[in-house]
Amino acid sequence: MKISVTVNGTRYERDVEPRTLLVHFLREDLGLTGTHVGCDTSYCGACTVLVDGRSVKSCTFLAVAADGAEITTVEGLAADGELHPVQEGFWERHGLQCGFCTPGMIMSSVALLEENPSPSEAEIRHALEGNLCRCTGYHNIVLAVQYAAAKLRGEQPPPADWEEVGA
Amino acid sequence: MSLGISIVRDDARAKVTGAARYPGDRVGPDLLHAVVVFSGRPHARMVSMDVRPAFAVPGVVEVVTAGDIPVNEYGLTMFDQPVLVGVDGTGRARVASDVSRWEADQIAVVVAETPEAAAAGAVALDVDWEDLPVVADLEAALTDEVLVHPEAGTNRYVHHRIRKGSPEAGWAAADVVVEGTYRLPHQEHAYLQPEAAVAYLDDDDRITVEIAGQWTHEDREQIAHALDLPPERIRVRYPAIGGAFGGREDMSLQIVMAAAVRKLAARGIRRPVRCVWSREESIVGHHKRHRGIVHARWGATREGVVVVAEVDAYLDAGAYNYTTNKVLGNLHLTVAGPYEIPNLRVDSWGVYTNAVPGGAFRGFGAPQGAFVAENQMNRLAEALGIDPVELRRRNVIQEGSVGPTQVPFPAGVSMPAVIDACAEAAERPVAVPPPAIPFASLPADESRLRRGRGFACAFKNVGFSFGFPERCEATIELHGDDEVERVVLHHAGADVGQGAHTAFRQMAAEAVGVPLERVEAVWSDTAVTGDSGSASASRLTFMAGNAILGAAEEAEKRWRDGDRPAIGEFRYVPPPTEPFDPDTGRGDVNFAYGYVAEAVEVTVDVGTGHVHVDRVVCAVDVGRAINPRLVEGQVHGAIVQAHGYALTERLVVEGATIRNPRLSQYLIPGIGDVPAHVEAVIVEHPDPVGPWGARGMAEMPFIPYAPAVVAAIHDATGVWFDEIPLTPDRVLAGLRRAGVAQ
Repeated sequence: MKISVTVNGTRYERDVEPRTLLVHFLREDLGLTGTHVGCDTSYCGACTVLVDGRSVKSCTFLAVAADGAEITTVEGLAADGELHPVQEGFWERHGLQCGFCTPGMIMSSVALLEENPSPSEAEIRHALEGNLCRCTGYHNIVLAVQYAAAKLRGEQPPPADWEEVGA
Repeated sequence: MSLGISIVRDDARAKVTGAARYPGDRVGPDLLHAVVVFSGRPHARMVSMDVRPAFAVPGVVEVVTAGDIPVNEYGLTMFDQPVLVGVDGTGRARVASDVSRWEADQIAVVVAETPEAAAAGAVALDVDWEDLPVVADLEAALTDEVLVHPEAGTNRYVHHRIRKGSPEAGWAAADVVVEGTYRLPHQEHAYLQPEAAVAYLDDDDRITVEIAGQWTHEDREQIAHALDLPPERIRVRYPAIGGAFGGREDMSLQIVMAAAVRKLAARGIRRPVRCVWSREESIVGHHKRHRGIVHARWGATREGVVVVAEVDAYLDAGAYNYTTNKVLGNLHLTVAGPYEIPNLRVDSWGVYTNAVPGGAFRGFGAPQGAFVAENQMNRLAEALGIDPVELRRRNVIQEGSVGPTQVPFPAGVSMPAVIDACAEAAERPVAVPPPAIPFASLPADESRLRRGRGFACAFKNVGFSFGFPERCEATIELHGDDEVERVVLHHAGADVGQGAHTAFRQMAAEAVGVPLERVEAVWSDTAVTGDSGSASASRLTFMAGNAILGAAEEAEKRWRDGDRPAIGEFRYVPPPTEPFDPDTGRGDVNFAYGYVAEAVEVTVDVGTGHVHVDRVVCAVDVGRAINPRLVEGQVHGAIVQAHGYALTERLVVEGATIRNPRLSQYLIPGIGDVPAHVEAVIVEHPDPVGPWGARGMAEMPFIPYAPAVVAAIHDATGVWFDEIPLTPDRVLAGLRRAGVAQ
């Protein structure tokens, strides 16, 4: 089937099999391998992308269902080499270790902050319930999103809590 | 200058922009695609395999079978597994290759133009099996009615002993005795990146495997052994690694992907081959933390001095040894805790079954050991009416203490200071936020909530030991003319996500005495880096740091001699160790240790059995924090992984078959399931042989968590549990048995 999608601002016309999953289309056809596959069953969230601004687990979303849509992947967030505030937050607040869950975490966080610019910690955790991480213990991921939220609101991000650490 | 500062990790930008490349990220039309076929039979003899139906599938290019593996045997410490099970073996192996002993024994690799064709080819293989009786678990294995490896003569194929003092004299002196039988579960690593590899011939015609592993040179050695090729003909490279935790220490795709490239090359096909496992293949196809059963009986005087312990421990090795003999050694060493107990008998066995192999997983036997030791200690505290922290202070090892192996601990024992640091921090009240996600959709009934506190501590060796020829190599190049303008570090050590490469660069800058910006690095490629040893056993910072110090010294010497660039190569060898004496367990078995203590506070809902961890204080001696932010990341990550081990992760293995190989069924903690408040107390008590005093630490915070949670649940409810994970159904059943819940 022919589909037409805009991915990270570029329009693509492609012929895809009806069974092709969006994540495979992005990775194999467009070479956008920043979107990862962690579980195949829409449980881990590593494959999260934005479809028309809404976060979607692209491992259980057909490419043909994205026909006509605007898709944003992790590769499309940085503008002219400048990191998106959410990317900056994960960088600055050490919100990653192995990094495999990170693109999905970032995309879910972007979707959250577009809906809710001032989320509480509980709201951040609720929004990221569909994204698993095995390395960080999530603590720094929450700090990363809080950092990004402040940045996006034009405020100074809260200081890191490293000072509290240590004895 | 470059140490003790929390620079952002070097790979952060690539990882937040999606630019980081993991092993499965190579795409393009030149790729061939591979599917690895599992036997699907926990115990069966292959009668025949016809590959012709697979070749009949359009797009199938090649099928690799046992006959393509010249030396068809694999094993990190014992060659007890065929690389591929099949009937066409070459006969050059120490293990019978026609028997599947595990449901994920590999029998073939199907290579095709598309992943779909490879999968169809895999299904088309025509295999006949003769099923054999399945040894499902430890109970079945211990009867020896059916042997998993008949050549071993018994399923109890490895046995360690400790004979210290006189248990009889100890029992005579004991006023109080506590006894328990503990059941420890499997645990799945669940790194977010399932196994994947790309293999090809490089420009020098080396068979090259790009994969996520933990030790490039050991991967190369295993491939070279099985393919009967000189190691120089093999190249192993690690791109970004999506977590490991021990789960990538044994081979998954390394050997078979190299074999596929070799077979294709013989036909003149030089295309790269890619294989990516699904989550299900990952969970079924690699080893687990060992399940086991441990019986312990300890005695103490009324004054709270532990005078005797006797322990019998059994670990389910599964179908193959993998690292069981080594994991068992760590359990053996730690199962009596960090206490100086004068009279000690420990017998530990590794036992073959047809279940998934047990192997390396963060802590490597110490979590099982600590679960037993710390539960025993907490039960003794209750029986004696002594505060659990105070009881530990009365028995804890000190500098110069003689350990279970009847020789003094290596210098730098900080267990008492770590216990104190943890206890003091835990006494400081903090405002703990309410659970971010409530127990259930309805608010909990306050009258059913019980609160409690628990404490546990632990120790574990740093580095490979028990007589292993431990080593680590580094190369440092100094470039410039009058001054060092550029430093290039070559190091194979795997950055599995812990941030090792960032710490290495910091240590290289410090060792040479240049600003961090001048240090570049070449990582994890057997073609251009020396043997680093494994990213395991909390060893990399310790070992690599010492290797970097030596290489820097060597390079500086050459620099002074006028070499430009000045190149220093160094192989660090730590103090030697020896194995347990087979009869007594005596021996100088380790050269360095890490020490950790944890205090937890929990809320138990006695109506539902839910356990919520409100607060965790973790004090860990890291010797010297090279990068405090990375250290803290290891504490948080290890605690949440241990939280899963203690409370949520239940792998169902029935009939030697994994029944829940999906993340929707095997529940690792999500962001709403984790402890509400975690405090990392970083203790810096230098290790005398650590680089700048640094100790290994990445495993330590995992180890005492489960017994601390069990103690807190007991404090809250009065009920002891001797089995984890403490899922709500299990907690509720235990509370009901004790009459605490209805």
